[in-house]
Amino acid sequence: MDKLIDDEMLVTQFKSGSQKAFDELMKRYERKIFGYLLRSVRNYEDAEELTLEVFFKAYRALGSWEPKAKFSTWLYTIASNLSIDYHRSKARKPVYMLEDEDVIEARVVATDISSNPEKQLEEKERGRIIREAVDELSSKQKAVFMLARYEGLQIKEVAETLGMAEGTVKIHLHRAMKKLQTLLRPLLENNEI
Amino acid sequence: MPKCNKSEAQAIDYVYGELDVSQVVDFERHLSTCNNCTRKVNTYKRVLRLVDEAEAELTAHIIAPRNLEAKLYRRLAEVPPVKPTLSSRLSDFATGLLLTLREQKVVSFCLFIFAVISVAFFVGNPFRPAPTFDMSQIDSADARIEQYRHQDIQRSMEDVLRNRHLRNSDGWDTVSQLNRVKDQAQGTNWANIAKKHLKNVHSEL
Repeated sequence: MDKLIDDEMLVTQFKSGSQKAFDELMKRYERKIFGYLLRSVRNYEDAEELTLEVFFKAYRALGSWEPKAKFSTWLYTIASNLSIDYHRSKARKPVYMLEDEDVIEARVVATDISSNPEKQLEEKERGRIIREAVDELSSKQKAVFMLARYEGLQIKEVAETLGMAEGTVKIHLHRAMKKLQTLLRPLLENNEI
Repeated sequence: MPKCNKSEAQAIDYVYGELDVSQVVDFERHLSTCNNCTRKVNTYKRVLRLVDEAEAELTAHIIAPRNLEAKLYRRLAEVPPVKPTLSSRLSDFATGLLLTLREQKVVSFCLFIFAVISVAFFVGNPFRPAPTFDMSQIDSADARIEQYRHQDIQRSMEDVLRNRHLRNSDGWDTVSQLNRVKDQAQGTNWANIAKKHLKNVHSEL
């Protein structure tokens, strides 16, 4: 399908009955939404389920959706709400899937056989500590941080996605950065980077 | 050294690229004279680098979830469809018209009308089918759901037949599985195929 056709045009075509238009929208965003949800929930299985839920909700609501914001912003809004609900319902720290981490480790080892396993374990542990620090952020701080840093959204788009004022987004972002700086201070002081 | 009048928030905005050009110039001038702010900026940059590396480690190899499309249509088959109201249909029509006009641009639209009228005047019958977006491939959600249902049945049938040799020699496991496929395939040709296989298995018993 033509990449030049913008999302809003595809939405119109979907509303006129083209399922292919929705397939194309899904193809464009499934990886991004999955990546965002994986960063948010830290669990492959749950991220997959939530990604399906995002597109299920989008499919059901798209017929009456008014394009006030970009389609992608709307999808991230659904994903953010689901992610917040997920954390609320779990009411616990994210569970790290050992299998997933092992797969990552296996891939790293496979690509560099001569590398030092101890060093790799250290790096893996450091990565885990850092991701735990990110998970210490409040759900809103984390959502703002992730959307702005990894989904390439401008502050204005983050504000639209999360239904906040731009000033509030900035406050959350500043608090997130300060908290991360505090939590990662031991790593920063050890000069490990 | 001049007294520092910059806030921590400005350092973060600078690192995030949220300052406008004049603010960046001003802040960078300030950085050249303020060790405190330089230290803050460097720390925040290091924080972001640390987090970037850790997040990349987790998501570097991600691929889109498998069979998402099939799962979605199966899920949609389980719930009744949302019926559009008259007002939503009217607003959809208006939105569609506006978007089309925006896409095509009003000027090129007028030029097109002018060209059509000119050709009609000098050549006749200009109304060939206009190239539209993938219209030939438009299909309904119901058709898609049905397609995935058939694929599911086919997969189940293939599993039953492929793994037949792994089951008990009396064949009753195969019979019960074929019965299950037959029930699943109610109303399709697959039900007849399942019946035929059932007959064969019974005759072998």
